[in-house]
Order: sequence, then structure tokens, then C-alpha cells
Amino acid sequence: MKGGSVPRIKPPLVPSFIVIVGFLTVCPVIMLLFGSFSEGLGAFGTFTLEKYIKSYSDPALAGILVNTAFFTVGSAAVATSLAIFLAYLNTRTNIPLKRSLRVMPIVPMMIPHILFAVSWALLLNPSNGIINLVLKGALNLKVSLFNIYTLPGMILVEGLLDLPIAYLIISPAMSSFDASLEESSRVSGASNLETLRKVTLPILRPAILSSFSLVIVRSLAAFAVPSMIGMPGRIYVLATHIYRIIAIGFAVDYGMAAAVGLSALVTSIALIYVYRRLTAKSEKYVTISGRGYRPALINLRKSKYPLCAVVCLFSFALIALPVLVLFYTSLLPYSMIPSWKAVSMMSWDNWTTVLKDPISLMSLRNSIFLGIGGATLGILLSIFVSYIIVRIRTRGSGLLESLVFLSFSFPGIVIGVGFMWFFVRTPLYATIWALLIGYIATYLPYGVRPLTSAFIQIHNELEESSRVCGAGILYTLRRIVIPLLAPGIVSGWILMATMFVRELSLSVVLSRPGTEVLAVQILKFAEDGLWGKLSALGIVMILISTTLVVLATAVGSKMSKMKKSS
Amino acid sequence: MEIKIRNLSKNFYSEGKRIEAVDNVNLTIPTNKIFSLLGPSGCGKTTLLRCIIGLEVPDSGEIEVGDEIVWSKDRGIFILPDKRGVSMVFQTYAIWPHMTVFGNVAYPLQISKVPKEEIKRRVERTLEFVRLEGFEDRAATELSGGQQQRVALARALISEPKAILFDEPLSNLDAKLREDTRKELRSFLTKLKITAVYVTHDRLEALTLSDVIAVMRDGAIVEVGAPKKLYFGSEQRFVADFIGRANLIKGKVVGFKGRRTLIDSPIGIIACERKVGIPEGRKVTVCIRPESFEVLEGEEGRNLNTFKGKVESLLFVGESNEGEVSVGETRLIVRFNPAAILKESDEIKLYIDPKRCHILLR
Repeated sequence: MKGGSVPRIKPPLVPSFIVIVGFLTVCPVIMLLFGSFSEGLGAFGTFTLEKYIKSYSDPALAGILVNTAFFTVGSAAVATSLAIFLAYLNTRTNIPLKRSLRVMPIVPMMIPHILFAVSWALLLNPSNGIINLVLKGALNLKVSLFNIYTLPGMILVEGLLDLPIAYLIISPAMSSFDASLEESSRVSGASNLETLRKVTLPILRPAILSSFSLVIVRSLAAFAVPSMIGMPGRIYVLATHIYRIIAIGFAVDYGMAAAVGLSALVTSIALIYVYRRLTAKSEKYVTISGRGYRPALINLRKSKYPLCAVVCLFSFALIALPVLVLFYTSLLPYSMIPSWKAVSMMSWDNWTTVLKDPISLMSLRNSIFLGIGGATLGILLSIFVSYIIVRIRTRGSGLLESLVFLSFSFPGIVIGVGFMWFFVRTPLYATIWALLIGYIATYLPYGVRPLTSAFIQIHNELEESSRVCGAGILYTLRRIVIPLLAPGIVSGWILMATMFVRELSLSVVLSRPGTEVLAVQILKFAEDGLWGKLSALGIVMILISTTLVVLATAVGSKMSKMKKSS
Repeated sequence: MEIKIRNLSKNFYSEGKRIEAVDNVNLTIPTNKIFSLLGPSGCGKTTLLRCIIGLEVPDSGEIEVGDEIVWSKDRGIFILPDKRGVSMVFQTYAIWPHMTVFGNVAYPLQISKVPKEEIKRRVERTLEFVRLEGFEDRAATELSGGQQQRVALARALISEPKAILFDEPLSNLDAKLREDTRKELRSFLTKLKITAVYVTHDRLEALTLSDVIAVMRDGAIVEVGAPKKLYFGSEQRFVADFIGRANLIKGKVVGFKGRRTLIDSPIGIIACERKVGIPEGRKVTVCIRPESFEVLEGEEGRNLNTFKGKVESLLFVGESNEGEVSVGETRLIVRFNPAAILKESDEIKLYIDPKRCHILLR
């Protein structure tokens, strides 16, 4: 090396990743924009405002926007208040069974949204919902007591589905909260409830607001609940409105879909911007410090067990009930009340038909491929991207961070329309690779975020000392960085893989004959009213997700064992 | 092996402002000595250290390790950190938590593809040297702070470097452990006969550990010298103040008497050890260490440097009593014999040996 030139400190790494991520995130947005001003999917044609005029002068649009506003804000309110309630009980009180109650709010992440929505439709639909049938028989009623196919029904189910996101934001804020702030309030004579209202909640306001804005973004992007619960009740929101424009009837119009989608996208980006402002100060560069204090626990006294029972019942409704209902339905030829008659009619018929159905099998193959392959590629990209964001702090890395965050705001169906305009022009159209690229673009933040926080926690000197010992960048990455990152990599991979296996809103646009995926196949079964088959395939989907999680965890713990021996 | 630094500068840019972390430093670090870079935080000492090993690329200047130029702007030389024959112990130790003690120490040898048998032998020997024999299979995270520090030292020593750099290696330890580890480190380094560069902001650490100290301020070297020379004989106000507790009294040279220089100051005339070449009328600062005062009993008096004062406050600090004594308007920090019977607002007489009054020119 003697006499060699000064090495370039900034390898072409940063620009090349900006190009990759920039393509993934900016391309669909630009294509969406172009598409909204053009004549049709096949050819851009001349510049036209026709699609805007047509879509925004639609008299039904006003109602759809009102529905969307109620749906998103309502879901955010349900998810956030439930998250506050559960996080408070789990972190600040002496409620029993804490260990299991802590994971409970996160478990719904494992259940695909579409199945969760279907299971509640099976329980509470007005014509043959199981709970409705049971109550009708028991109370001798003429009409059904509940109707899930309503706006409140949609809000409730979507709120439950978004509970994990809200909980993951609020619970850390709640547990890192300085207990002495509350104690001084209590010393001043305030009761627990007063303290909660006057001290705890105001201090938690940034976390609550960021949970609120994030859930609004997620529910704006949601497709499962609007399609499974909203559409049967003829309650349309933006996502289902767009779906109807591009998928139902003969006159599909991607230009109109793009024009409508842009307003959803703009709203989303604005909300994510708000969210980022809210969290920028509190979340950035919080490393684990050794000096952790344990907040004092509040003694619930007599209400301890009733509250615990309420939470357990809630967990049952949230986790076990959907799976049980699906399994029950998968064994029956049609909906009926649980009874001896039902038991006698049970069979594996639905399962055998589904597992022999070539399209279902193809969707199974495709989803597994997308889950494993997509998550692996996605996490590889995330490792490099988060390395650049955390370690190489140049202007370029700031841009990269913003690009990644941009895709955080993408409503799947809208971005799918944008990608459609792009893929139609490439040989990727109607191939599995189109889905793969779309998935990674839309879900990149879910890989990047756990990895950036893992990177932040690895002190710079751990890498530098390896370089001083003579290791090159790649050797350091392999021997030091990756093993230390293993937990972050595993959790990022799990997050991505489970999301890819159940992906619906993007696939609904990009999936073509030959590239069916599980969620789209389930949607088709639902549209045809084939609940038994749907349930069987749904259970298979849950099994795949669970297997992936178990495998990834096993690989993760093996990785951490391997590194001990080296 | 000597380390020579010539005209070295390194700037950082933060929010549009230029910060001169290292500002045209010229320094020779002597062979097989413990050399400390001492200075307040933010003075550029760590940046200088990182330039020596090659983790930072300087903006200009030259660095020579032994006979080899490892960095030169003008000649376009940059030798990678691991090829400089220098190793480093980091402030956080940078012990890899996912490896055992053996894994950590063996790492540099594994990179240079040393045969397994030899690695095992050398790791064993090095661990024995830092008194960690038998710790090979322990997880690095199971060790105490002091033990982690020794693992970091072992890892730095294993490749048999020509020089070893320390970046505040004791700042993460608690007070008692820090004292023990300091002694231990001193004995390790003396045994090794190796050039050691030690960065610290702790004056006590620098004084007890080093053969030579370089005091840094705002990116520049202020003064270089042996600990005693800097403590008792520095010519600079900043150094005298930074390296130990000091009473700095401003005054003016008013005359000479034998081997003494007489300074007129707010507490009266102070007779100091004569310094050559200071003209009458020159403004100077007199530095008197708290432990240089003597309390005179009864009517006892000396013809020089005797000052009457009042005890304003007393603080028992263990090995001594420390108090503030006001002489006129000036408050002096004085260290008393703990056995002395004194209380606040006592009137006392203080004497200072002229040999212990130092004139600071800058």
C-alpha cells in the first residue's frame, strides 16, 4: 500500500442504493401521476384532464370520502384507545398473567387481515352469522341482532387489526416513562385515575398522536376490511372505490383509478410527514442505556382479577376466535349453528377440493416463493440501506432515509395502480417478478426500521476495532456486524415474510392469471361465497405464516449460538 | 519506536461551521515511553489519536511511525490502519459481545491467517500476560469492567504492535477500580517496553501514568513535558491551571533580591524563584499549589512571603483539610494538615516557600 493513493472514503455504494430505492419508491408515484393525465393503460396518448374531471365529478365520490374519513379516524380511535388501555395495564399495573398478556396485542399481526375480516363476517353477518343464529335461537328473535356489514362494524374490525401498530408505539413510551412524574402527582393528593388523566396522558401525547396518524395511514391503505365487510353492505371507501374502477365490470379505467388514487396518496404522505415530525425527536438515537429504572407498579387491588378476565376474554376474541371460526367453517358444507347435527356433517371435503384445485395450489406456491424469496431480497436490501442511513451519514444517506419513509405511506392498491402503468411497458408484466418488486417497494420500511434501530445500538467502535485489527469492510460485516444484527435481521425478515405471504391490496392490482397469490384467491372465494373452501385455504395460509416464524426464530437462535463458538 | 507528527491539521464541518479539531500539530512521541495527550473534552486529542491510527484522514500534514511515513498529504501516502504496526484500545473497549474472550483476542490473528496452533499458543500467552489465564471460553459480556479492559488490551497486544494507542480507556470504570487498573496498566506497559499513546482528560491519570505529557487545547499542543516539570514548572497559565489545583495570582515584577524575583500582587509582595530574562515591570501570574502553604504558629514569622488571612471555609476531604483563606480581597485555596486544629473565621498566618511560587509568563 505504500505510496498508494488516498482511498476513496465514499464508495459508489451510496449513489447506487439511492438509485435502487429511488426506482422502487419514486417510479410508481411518477407513473401514477403520468397515468392520471393520460388516456389509457396501453398508451399514454396526449395530455388530458379528462380522468380527473370524470372521477371527481362523480356524485358518489362525496359519500365515499365521508365514509373514508369516518372509517380511518374511527379505526384510529379504536386502535389507539385500546392500545393505551392494554399498554397501561401491562406496563404500569400489577395485573396477573403479565407475561402472556404482553404478547397478546401483537399476535393479530400473525393473522392475515383478510381472514380476520372474514371470520368476523362469518360470526356477525345478518343472514347466517353464527353468533346471530345462536342468539336468534336462544332469544326467539325474528331478525338478526347484529349486522357487521355497517360502518361501525368496519371500524371495529379495522381498529382491532391495527391494534398491534398502535400498541408497538404506545407501549414503549409508556414503559420508559419516568414514574416519579406520576408519583409526585399522587403525593399531591391526586387519585390514580386523576393522575392518569392529568399527568400520564398529556405526557404521552406525542406517542398517542403518532399512533393515531399511523393507524389512519394504515386504514386508508387497508383493503381487506373494506372489501370483506364494507362491500357486502355497499359501504365504499377510497380503496374499494379504486378496486371497483379497475376490477369490476368491463370498462376498467386505470386513468380514473390513478386520478382518485393520487388524492389518497397525497393524504397519506402528508400524514406520514406529520408522524415523522412527531417521532423525530423522541425516537431518534435512543440507545439502550444500562441504567434502567423500573416504574413503580400501581396496585389494582380488587379490580385486578376482573380486569384480567376482561383482557383474557378480549384476547380470546382477538386471537383464538377467528382461527376457531375458520377451522369450524372449513369442515362444514354450509353455515350452521354449532350442534350435533353440525358435528355429524363435518368432513375434510373442503380441504381436499382446495388442495386439488390447481389455481389454489398455484397461489400457494407463488405466495411461499414471494414470502421467502421476497423477504430475503428485501432484508438484504434493508441491511445495506440501513447501514448507509446509520453509518455513512452524508446528504445522500438523508435522501435515502426520506425515500424509504416515502414508501411507508404507500396505500397498496394505489401504488399497485402506479406500478401497473410501469410494468405494462416491461416484460415483467403479469410475472411473479412484478409482484416481488412491488412488495419490496411497498414494505421496505418494515425491513429497514428494525435494522436501523439495531444498527444504532451497535457502537461504532465495535466496527472500528475490527478495522484496526486488519479486517476489511466485508470481513467486518460478516464477522462482526451481521452476527450482532442477527436479532434485527430475523425480526425484519419475519415481519416482511408474513406480510408478503398475506399481501392483498397490492396483489389485487398486480396479480394476473398465472400469478395468483393466496390472499387474492381467498378474495375470489369470498366473492363467490365459497366460505368452506376459503376457510380451508385460510388455515393453510396461517400455518405457512406460523411455520415461517418458527423457522426464522430457530435460524436466528442458531446464528447466535454459532457466533459464540467462533 | 518513535511517532513523528508534522504540521497535521484536521477540520470537521458541522452545520456549515468549520471546526479545527487538530490545528497544525507538530509532535514527537518518544520510543518506549508512556505518552499522554491531556486536555479538556473537545480539544482534539481523540481526533489526533484517530489520525495516528488511520481511522480519520487528516486534511494536511505528515505522520511517521518508526521509519515509515504512514500518511502524507503532499506525497499522497495513506497506509491502512492495520498496516501501520499500531493498535488501539477503545474508550468503550469495543469487546465484541457475540464472541468469547478467545474469539475477541484471536481475531487479529485469524485475519492474518496465522495457523490455528500458533493462534492458540499466542492467545494463551497474551491472556496470561494480562492475568486472564483460563478465561478463554468465557463470553466477553460476562466479564467485569476491569476484565473487559484487559481483554481489549490483550487484543491490542496480540499482533505485537510497535505502538499502542489508548482512547480514555479508564473512563468507564468506577473510581476505585480506575485506580487499581491504572497501576496495573502502568506495570503492564513498563514490562512491555512499548510506545504507548494515552488520551485522557483526567489530570491525575495523566500525572500518575505517563512519562511524558502533552497538554492540548483547541486543537493545538500547548506544552510538552514530564509530569513533574509540567506540574511545578509550567510557564503557562492554562497548563498550570489544568494539570492541578492552583492559586493563580496576577501581579507585576517590581524587583530582584538574590535568587528571588519580587512580584507585587493583591496579597502583597510575593518572592518567587528567580526566572532569567524577565524585566522589571512585566505583568505576570504567580502559581501557588494549595499544598505549598505552611501555617505559622504564634508569633513565629519569616521575613518573606508571610501573609495574614482569615479562614473562610473548611472542607474535610479525607487525606487533608482543604480550606479557603481570604488574604485581603483575594481568596486562596489552601491544603491544611488534617491534624491542625482550625475552625472557620480563625485568623492565621501563611508562609510559602519561594521555591514553590512559580512565575507564569503566558
